[in-house]
Amino acid sequence: MSGAKAGTGFFSFLPLFGPFVVLWGIFWFIPLFTGLELSLVGGKGSILSTSEVVEIDTIGLANYQSALNDFKFLKSLENTTLFVVGSILITLILGFCLAVVIFRLKRIFHAPYLFLLLIPSLALPGSLAKLFYLFFHGKSGALNQFLIVPLGFEPINWMMNPDWILPCLIFQSVWRWTGLVTLLLYCGMRAIPKWQFEAAALEGAEGGKVIASILFPGVRHLLLFAAVFLMVDGVAAFSGAYNLLGGSGGVLDAGLLFVTYAYQVAFPGGSGRLDLPLAAAMSVLVAVGTACLAYFLLWMNRKEGVAK
Amino acid sequence: MIRGMVSKVFLLSFILLTAYPFVWMFLSSFKTNREIYSPDRLLPSFFKPDAFQILFSNELFQFNEVLIRSLLLSSGQAFFACLVTAAAGYAIAKGNFRGRNLIFGAAILLVLFPKQAMSLFLFEWMATLGLTGNLYGFILSGVASGLGVIFFTQVFRKVPSELVDLALLEGGGHFGCFLSLIPLLVPALVTYCILHFFLSWQEHLLPLLVLSNDQLTLPLALSKLADSSYRIPEAVGLAAGVVAMLPMLILFGLFFRKIRTALADWVVS
Repeated sequence: MSGAKAGTGFFSFLPLFGPFVVLWGIFWFIPLFTGLELSLVGGKGSILSTSEVVEIDTIGLANYQSALNDFKFLKSLENTTLFVVGSILITLILGFCLAVVIFRLKRIFHAPYLFLLLIPSLALPGSLAKLFYLFFHGKSGALNQFLIVPLGFEPINWMMNPDWILPCLIFQSVWRWTGLVTLLLYCGMRAIPKWQFEAAALEGAEGGKVIASILFPGVRHLLLFAAVFLMVDGVAAFSGAYNLLGGSGGVLDAGLLFVTYAYQVAFPGGSGRLDLPLAAAMSVLVAVGTACLAYFLLWMNRKEGVAK
Repeated sequence: MIRGMVSKVFLLSFILLTAYPFVWMFLSSFKTNREIYSPDRLLPSFFKPDAFQILFSNELFQFNEVLIRSLLLSSGQAFFACLVTAAAGYAIAKGNFRGRNLIFGAAILLVLFPKQAMSLFLFEWMATLGLTGNLYGFILSGVASGLGVIFFTQVFRKVPSELVDLALLEGGGHFGCFLSLIPLLVPALVTYCILHFFLSWQEHLLPLLVLSNDQLTLPLALSKLADSSYRIPEAVGLAAGVVAMLPMLILFGLFFRKIRTALADWVVS
């Protein structure tokens, strides 16, 4: 094989993968260990920017203990979990239904409909927050005018009512990501071999049966991929909530998400605590926890695929 | 028949929900605050582009600079991420060396760890390196993309080995082979470049931490405009939102077919 002449060993490929590995090391691996180290020290301030160091000493897992005893941190985790689960479920269900509807239309309509659905994904989360506040929110906003009042209820003050803040954040996330998920699932449906549909038609299957036996199994792996993507993005959600709630957690911290709280703990722009080690411990807990969960989901899917 | 009608109504309602608010946003950038606070009103009384004038005259802050900076940072990151991750993807897909699974695992770790949760650590580390407030440092920090490596690994796995062997015969080793394959992979490269641009364009927390106050990017500028203490007309914030959306709309509009093709190829693999 001619490949042998060019070499198939480590050094032949080093110029190709080397830059990625170096940048990965500098901007991911080392910072991760810096963060781990930071989470194990006491004192407030940075372990690295020495001018800001205040009484640094290793205190073991005390920051982790403090994080787990911090009511607001636990509240932010609870909110983030609800936000992530709610966003994933609604986005995937809507995305799948929309992809099925578009897939069944005449092909000429596919591209324009998909593009129109994609529009919110193209906007900055800050713009979405602004638009939500001015267009959907408020007594005369679209949500009250077209959803709540026609159902016979009193208009809701969405962002001032703690019961509705989190649903508003979920709404924003669903509004933002459904188009992209629809596009992904649509592409998956188009990749399903035609003979499967022909065989189903010969057997007289149509409607729900085609969805259940061909379309859903055909995009199941993509649904999982989208769920993992939405989970990682949801845990890291910052911009939308930051813009909508002005950097706070809203009334009674009902919309306090994890990243906003870590920012509040770490920087004077937040609560003024400037407790970087505690914020680092919180970040390690959440980042590692999310990564393990996402990996577990992917591993389960792979295992199931191999078993089949 | 009825089921078909219901599904079409569902689709059109959802499209209305996704597209109409943006039409409203664009038209509201010409409105007064009073008109904006009546969301059921679509058209402005007059089409006066005052909000855009305020933005582009740099009255509030150097908006032109913010826009150009965001464009340069995002396109710089997207360009280098494309090169670096495509090369790594080629090495993983076509190489048979020890450690390639480790590199792929490293890419997966990048995807699985929430980037925003890591921002604090990155900020600390970049401060140590003296890279805070450094635009080149910011670009470099976003180049190693796990999603890119996974995407290009799948793309290169689909390139027939015969083609690689043929390219290797012409000399230049694997690096030359990689370069010679690039013209065949334009849809995948364009797709990933746009996706990375899109992710970088929307980045909020890292620029907030790493860049200095006079190095605003668009997401930071939008937050500033949303700050009620500035008493800025709402139309200005909406106009900034419209301007911020334009590059993405243009890119996706121009390359939508290519993106769909590349995504369809990718999901098969």
